[in-house]
Amino acid sequence: MAAHNNSAANHPLLEVNPPLVLGGQSYHDVTESVSSISEGKTPKQWYILISITASITVMLFGMLAYLVANGIGVWGNNAPVYWAWDITNFVFWIGIGHAGTLISAILFLFRQKWRTSINRSAEAMTLFAVACAMIFPLFHTGRPWRAAYWLGPTPNPDLVMWQNFRSPLMWDVFAVSTYATVSALFWYVGLVPDLATLRDRARGIRQRIFHIASLGWRGSARHWRNYEMAYLILAGISTPLVLSVHTIVSFDFATSVLPGWHTTIFPPYFVAGAIFSGFACVLTLLIIARWALNLEHLITLKHLENMNKVILVTGWVVGLAYGTEFFIAWYSGNPYEQFVFINRAFGPYAWAYWTMISCNVISPNFFWFKKLRNSIPVMFVLSLVVNVGMWFERFVIIATSLHRDFLPSSWGYFQPTYVDICTFIGTIGLFLTLFLLFCRFLPIIAISEVKGVLAEQRNPGPGVVATSKVVDPKFEPVPVAVGTTEGSGH
Amino acid sequence: MAGHHHDHAVDSYQLDPGKWSTGRNVLAFIALLSWALLGFGYFNDHERFFQSYLVAFCMGTFIILGATFFVYVQYLTGSAWSVPIRRILENIMVSIPIGALLFIPIAFAGVDDLYKWAKPEAISDALIQAKKAFLNVGGFRLRAGILFALWSIWAFAIWTSSTKQDKTKSIEQMKTSSRWAAPGLLVVCLTGCLAAFEWIMSLDPHWYSTIFGLYCMAGGCVAMWATVTLISLGFRSNGVLANTITVEHYHDLGKWMFALSVFWTYLAASQYLLIWYASIPEETIYYKERMHGSWAWVSVLLPIGRFVVPFALLVGRSAKRNLKVLRIAAIWILFMEFVDMYWMIMPNFHEYAHGFHLHWLDLAALGGVFSVYGLVFWSRFKSNSLVVEGDMRFEQGLHFHQV
Repeated sequence: MAAHNNSAANHPLLEVNPPLVLGGQSYHDVTESVSSISEGKTPKQWYILISITASITVMLFGMLAYLVANGIGVWGNNAPVYWAWDITNFVFWIGIGHAGTLISAILFLFRQKWRTSINRSAEAMTLFAVACAMIFPLFHTGRPWRAAYWLGPTPNPDLVMWQNFRSPLMWDVFAVSTYATVSALFWYVGLVPDLATLRDRARGIRQRIFHIASLGWRGSARHWRNYEMAYLILAGISTPLVLSVHTIVSFDFATSVLPGWHTTIFPPYFVAGAIFSGFACVLTLLIIARWALNLEHLITLKHLENMNKVILVTGWVVGLAYGTEFFIAWYSGNPYEQFVFINRAFGPYAWAYWTMISCNVISPNFFWFKKLRNSIPVMFVLSLVVNVGMWFERFVIIATSLHRDFLPSSWGYFQPTYVDICTFIGTIGLFLTLFLLFCRFLPIIAISEVKGVLAEQRNPGPGVVATSKVVDPKFEPVPVAVGTTEGSGH
Repeated sequence: MAGHHHDHAVDSYQLDPGKWSTGRNVLAFIALLSWALLGFGYFNDHERFFQSYLVAFCMGTFIILGATFFVYVQYLTGSAWSVPIRRILENIMVSIPIGALLFIPIAFAGVDDLYKWAKPEAISDALIQAKKAFLNVGGFRLRAGILFALWSIWAFAIWTSSTKQDKTKSIEQMKTSSRWAAPGLLVVCLTGCLAAFEWIMSLDPHWYSTIFGLYCMAGGCVAMWATVTLISLGFRSNGVLANTITVEHYHDLGKWMFALSVFWTYLAASQYLLIWYASIPEETIYYKERMHGSWAWVSVLLPIGRFVVPFALLVGRSAKRNLKVLRIAAIWILFMEFVDMYWMIMPNFHEYAHGFHLHWLDLAALGGVFSVYGLVFWSRFKSNSLVVEGDMRFEQGLHFHQV
C-alpha cells in the first residue's frame, strides 16, 4: 500500500497536477501580489486604455440616445427579419456571463481547486456582461422609461395593460434579473474577506470606504463558518441558474413554431454554447490581465490549460447539437425544417454559417494537442475566434430562420445599419471599461481562497502529492489557519 | 467527525473465491430461469416477447453507456473521490460486448415485429419512405454492429490498461486510459444518442425530438449510479470493501443520483414544455398517446418518481450519508428507469396504445438481460482486483472525506 512515495520530488502526478500557486509564495506574498494592484499608483497604460474604452462607451450612449429620439427604425430590423442584432447581442452577452457562474458555482460543487484564481474576475465579467445584455431588450422597447410597464408586473392605469405571463420573453425578465441578483450577491459575498484585507492595509478615506464595504468582517472563526455556509448555499442556488437562464433564453426561440427555432435540444445546447463563449471571453481577458498585472504565478498555465479543455468539450457539445439538428431536420421528413437547414448552409447567409462552423466546431480542435493547449498565442487567438463564432451562431439561428418565410414573396435579407454596428461595438466598450475599473479598484483574485489552496498545497491530506516541498523553497510544514485576513493572521 | 479513521488495510482487494462462486451461482440461476421463461414466452407470444425484451435490453445497455461515460469523465477530471469505486464502473463498462449478442434477437428476429418502418406496410407510408436511407433493416443491423464494436474497443482499451496498472502501479497506464477517454467521451455521446434515436425513437417513425438522445443518456446515467450504489452496498453487507468504500464515498454517490435526477428532469421538462407550447400535431402525438387511458397514470408517475421522490429523499446531507436511505433511493431510481423505458417503448404498440398492461415476460426479460450482463460483469471480479489499487490517486481516494 505504501507503493507511492507522495513527497518525492519526482512524483509522476506532478506532471498532471502541478501546483496551482507557483513561485514559492508565502501567504503574505499572495496578499501583496493581489492587493498591490489596487494600492499602487495608477499606471499610465491604464489611463490610455480606459480613455479608449470610455470613448467607445460614450459612442454607445450616443447611439442609444439617437435610437430613443428616432425610434427602432434606426436599426436594420425590418420585414421579415424583425429580430436581428438586438436579440443576437442580448444572447451573446448573456452567454458570456455563464462562465462566471459555472466557475463560481458548479466548479465549486465539483471541488475543482483551480477555479480559485479565476472565479473572482469571471464573476465580475458575468455582472458586466449581464449589464451589456440588458441594454438590448430595454432599448428595443423604444421607450425604456416605459419598460417597467412592459417588462414587469407594474400597475399602469394610463396604459391599461398587463404582462403576458405565458410569454417566454416575460420569463426572461425574471430569469435574467434573478441571475443578475444572485450573481451579484455571490460575487459580493466572496469579496467580503478580501475587502477586509484591503481595509486593513489602507489608510484614510480608502480605509473608510473599505471599512463600510467589508461589512465589519473580522476574520473570526465564527465569521468564517458563516461565510463558508453562505458560500455553499449560494453555490447551490446558482447552479440551477447556470442552466435556467440560457434555457429560458433558448425558449424565446424554441417555443415558437418556426423551423430552425423550434427544436427540443435548444435548452441544453444553448447552455453549452453559453459556457463555451463565456470561457473563451474569460480566457481572452485573463491572458492579458495575468501578463499586465504580473499574476502569472497565481493564474498559471495549468489554469489556462484547464479552461482550454472546457472550451474543447463545450465546443464539441455545440458541434454535436448542430449535427443533431441537421440530422433530425432531414429525419423529420418536414420540408420546411429541411429547407431552413439547407438554406443556412448554402443560402445567402452561407458565409455566416461557415464562419460559425469554422470558429465553433473546427477551431477548438487545436486544443486536442497539449502543446497548443499550453501555448499562450494559440489560446489567445482561439479565444477570440470562439467569441466571433458564438456571436455568429446566434446571428445564424436568428436571421437565417427569419429571412425566408413560408411565402417566397416575403423573403428578404437583413443588413445592419451603422447604428446596429456602433451600438454593439459600444457595448464592448462598456464591458471593457467596467472590467478596467474592476481591475484597478478591487482584488481581481480571491485572495483568501487562493490561500486555502496554498494551505492545502503545503499540508496535503493523506495520499495527496506534497507539491510545495518540490517547488516551494519557503516551505515550512507548520499548520496554518486557512484564509485568515492580514489583520488577524499574519 | 468520528469515523474518518478506518483501518483500510483490513480489506482484501481480492474477492474470496467462495463469495465469487455464490454470486456467479445466483446470477446463473436467474439467467437459466429467465431464459427458460423467455423461450417459453417467445413461442407463446413472440410479439410481446420482443416488446418486453426491448425494454429490458435498452435499460441494461443505457446503464452500461452511463458507466462508460462516467469512467471517461473520472479519468479526464483526475477525480480522486471515485477511485475506490471506479473498478465497479469499469467492470460495468466492459460488459458491453455481450450486448451485441443480446441484440441479435432484436436485429434478426424482432425487427419487423417491433419497428413499423420494417413492416411490409411501410411501403405505403410516404414519410417512412422518405427516411428509408436511415430506417432500413440492413442499416439498423450494420449500425448496431458498429456501435457495439466502438463501445467494446474503447471499453477493452481502458479496462486492460486499468487492470495492468493494478500490478505496475505506474502512471503510464493512467495516461493511456486518459488518451482513450478524451475521444471516447465524444464517441459515447454521439453513439449513445444515435442508439436512442434508432432503437427507441424510431418505434414511432413519424415522431422526432432532438433532445431525445440526451434524455435516454441522462436516464441511463442516473440509473448507473443507482446500480453502483447497490453493488457497493451489496459488497458491504457481505463484508467486502466495507472499509474501502466509506460513507464519504456513499455521500458522493448520493450527490450524483440527486444531481442527475434533477438533470433528467431538466431535459424531460424541456422536451415536454417545448412540444406542449408549440403544439404542433406531429410532435404532440407522442404525449397525446401517453395521456390515453391508464398511460396517463404512468405519465403522472414519471415526474413524481423521477424527480419529486429522489429530490425529497436525497436533498439532505444526512440522508446521503444514511446507507438505508441511499439503498431505498437507489432501488427506487432503478425502478423508475424501468418505468421510463416502459413508458417510452410500450405505448408504440397498437395493442397497448390505450393502457399499460404488465406481463410476466417484462420481468423475465429484465432477468434475462441483467443476468447476462451481470455474469460478464461478475466474471471480471474472479481474478482481478476489486479496486484500482494501482491508481496514482488510490491513497487519496481512500482517505477522501467530505468537507
